[in-house]
Amino acid sequence: MTAHENKTLQPSMALSISGLFILILANINPVLNFEVVGRLQAGYVITGVTELWHQGYGSLSFLVLFSGIVAPTLYLAAICYVSTACVLRLRLPKVETVFELIEKIEPWNLIPVYSIATVVAVVKLKMLGTVEWQPGARWILATAVLSLFCQQTFDRKLVIRRLRSLGVWTGATRE
Amino acid sequence: MITISDKTRVQLSAALVATGMILYIPSNVMPVMKMSIVGKVENLTVLGGVHELYDSGLPFIAAVVFFASFLVPLLKLLSLAWILSMHGKMKYQRQRSDLHRIVHKIGSWSMIDIFLLAVLAAVGQLGALAGVNAEPGAILFAIVLVCCIFATEVYKPRLIWEECH
Repeated sequence: MTAHENKTLQPSMALSISGLFILILANINPVLNFEVVGRLQAGYVITGVTELWHQGYGSLSFLVLFSGIVAPTLYLAAICYVSTACVLRLRLPKVETVFELIEKIEPWNLIPVYSIATVVAVVKLKMLGTVEWQPGARWILATAVLSLFCQQTFDRKLVIRRLRSLGVWTGATRE
Repeated sequence: MITISDKTRVQLSAALVATGMILYIPSNVMPVMKMSIVGKVENLTVLGGVHELYDSGLPFIAAVVFFASFLVPLLKLLSLAWILSMHGKMKYQRQRSDLHRIVHKIGSWSMIDIFLLAVLAAVGQLGALAGVNAEPGAILFAIVLVCCIFATEVYKPRLIWEECH
């Protein structure tokens, strides 16, 4: 057995499963609280989306929804699906299509950028009023770190080898 | 699945880069958001926001935002323009392929400004006390970055290695 074959997709599987759970926590908890002259407002990830929509900026609202919530979820779910198929040697349906989706969706997973943007937002808001970090911010950061690790551990060539040995790789995609 | 011919890929990518370049200037000149805090109204451009952060003694954060929202899109557009202009030539293929990989990896760090707007708008709805509103510049800014992402995706790295006929 070569050192090459010792590689495994278990880290990707574990990271993507935790990532999916933490992504839920990031979205149901407020990210920060802002207070000006005694009036308090809590901000969730989705609040930014709905607020931009109300202001008549549908395209921006869609962009934030897609790259901040939808794409990270799809990305982690797709990695989870493919790595589970490889690790547990399951012949899951449409695994090749899902594998292609990972590459397509990857540049749109902008949750790490979102976490930096919240830091900048807090810095800006501090000049204007009282701002407080809320648990959601921690979960966003955790999701960002997990999805970056996922990206690093997910070895495409290894996946192709595993899928080939399972007999579910048709090679329709160009390598 | 839609199949696009290689020639169309090059043209499409070039068109997206051109659009991005044209809109890059107005996207940086026009305000992206309007902040009004306790009666004080302020229109902020991307660079205005950077300047403000720098002035408040946060050079590091200012540098991050400057890099992510001002330099990255410009460098991405210039890199893609260079890669596309060299299409079909046999020179610098290794460099072009490396550059393409970097541009793909960077994704779109300029989204930082759009997300910033979303986070600020989320908490900045306290009526007359504090309001954050998006401005048309933000749409141009978003178009530039969407163009960048699509241009990178449409021009597949394998095209770098192919000769033009």
